Amino acid sequence: MIDGDMNETTHPTQIAVLGTLAEFHQDPLPYNLKSLVKLVADINPDLLCLDMTLEQWQQQDFSRLPEEYSQALLPLAAQTDIVVVPIGGDRVMPKASATGWRGGLITSLRKMLSWIQSGAPGPDAINQGWRHDVGNILYTFARLLAGKKTSQAYHAHIEQVSQAALDAAQNNPGNRILVVTNIQYCHHIRPRLREHSEIRVTSYREL
Amino acid sequence: MRDVIVFCQENLRRAAWVALLERQPGLSAVQAARTISDLKALPISEKQVSILVDLPGVDAELVAQLTTAVPGCGLLILVSDFEIAEAVSLLQAGATGLISRDAAVPELVQAIIAVGRGEIVLPPEMASRVMLALARGDVRPKPTIESLTDREQEVLSLLAQGLTNKDIAQSLFLSVRTIEAHLRNIYGKLDVNSRTEAVLWAVQHGYEP
Repeated sequence: MIDGDMNETTHPTQIAVLGTLAEFHQDPLPYNLKSLVKLVADINPDLLCLDMTLEQWQQQDFSRLPEEYSQALLPLAAQTDIVVVPIGGDRVMPKASATGWRGGLITSLRKMLSWIQSGAPGPDAINQGWRHDVGNILYTFARLLAGKKTSQAYHAHIEQVSQAALDAAQNNPGNRILVVTNIQYCHHIRPRLREHSEIRVTSYREL
Repeated sequence: MRDVIVFCQENLRRAAWVALLERQPGLSAVQAARTISDLKALPISEKQVSILVDLPGVDAELVAQLTTAVPGCGLLILVSDFEIAEAVSLLQAGATGLISRDAAVPELVQAIIAVGRGEIVLPPEMASRVMLALARGDVRPKPTIESLTDREQEVLSLLAQGLTNKDIAQSLFLSVRTIEAHLRNIYGKLDVNSRTEAVLWAVQHGYEP
């Protein structure tokens, strides 16, 4: 819902997207989560859009969420004025999966993704340079191997997450919004947000 | 002959009004209603009808509800004393006239007939002051819940429950800054200066603490 009765704001609504390899929460994180906390605390966004379902938020059930969320970002939001917005709707992030040789290949790709994460010195490393690009490519291959259904779920998730982030921006004119999601969605969310002239899409470092 | 409806919540008083007005020349078809639902259910003739409102503490919100329920009828409000701000507020909400509870019966009947014709009825000594206040715009109508947007009503409701700005923000998935902006708008519309005053206003207007 767009609030039409808000005072005019002089500052543009700014939004940035921060990518993570958050689905690998079962694997031990090589970098200290404090660096992610510090990064987001320094940005100090007004709203923190997290890729979790509304149900997970309402039930405060964070047990199945990545450590980046459950151990770092949600506790940070709880003790600051940062407001959490669950943008996953009613579905969790879809994971690529298949049977037979395709499944075997996907497992290999995921091992490579896990390896990328294991060598990342901090959250910045996942958002730039070769780790970011290779990560995207590996995710794309995994989706292709998983087939049409996974691809459809992937695009539906992008729509859901983008629209929810857009709603948050439109309901909070003049605010600074940080979207944190898996890196495979970043490249799709940013262009969708850029279609709206009232929103300035920026780097999370410049937010 | 003018049709009259008495709007009054007390049974004996309502019956007394009907008995009194039925005997007055110039008035006919005296009906009575206790609630707005009763009022809506009455068969109102096509010719203009006068409604005599006898309630303690009539405010602009109630007058606005009556105006919506029975559009086109003349609303004559009985008041204990006249205050310019209150009079302007009631007139702006849709009242057609105000008359003192100390008025004589003939005076009351004349007023009922006049509001039925769509005339504004005010005591002469007050009329000029009310018009002046309206012309200057120095009297603002009393705020009503309807003056708030849906979102502002949500924020006010949570405020009345004692939530902090962060809690309100998190409940509505809005930022703290956005909530602060809504609160500024709410304070302005309700003409209050503090959180406490806003909560008090909310509770007085039916929000659950």
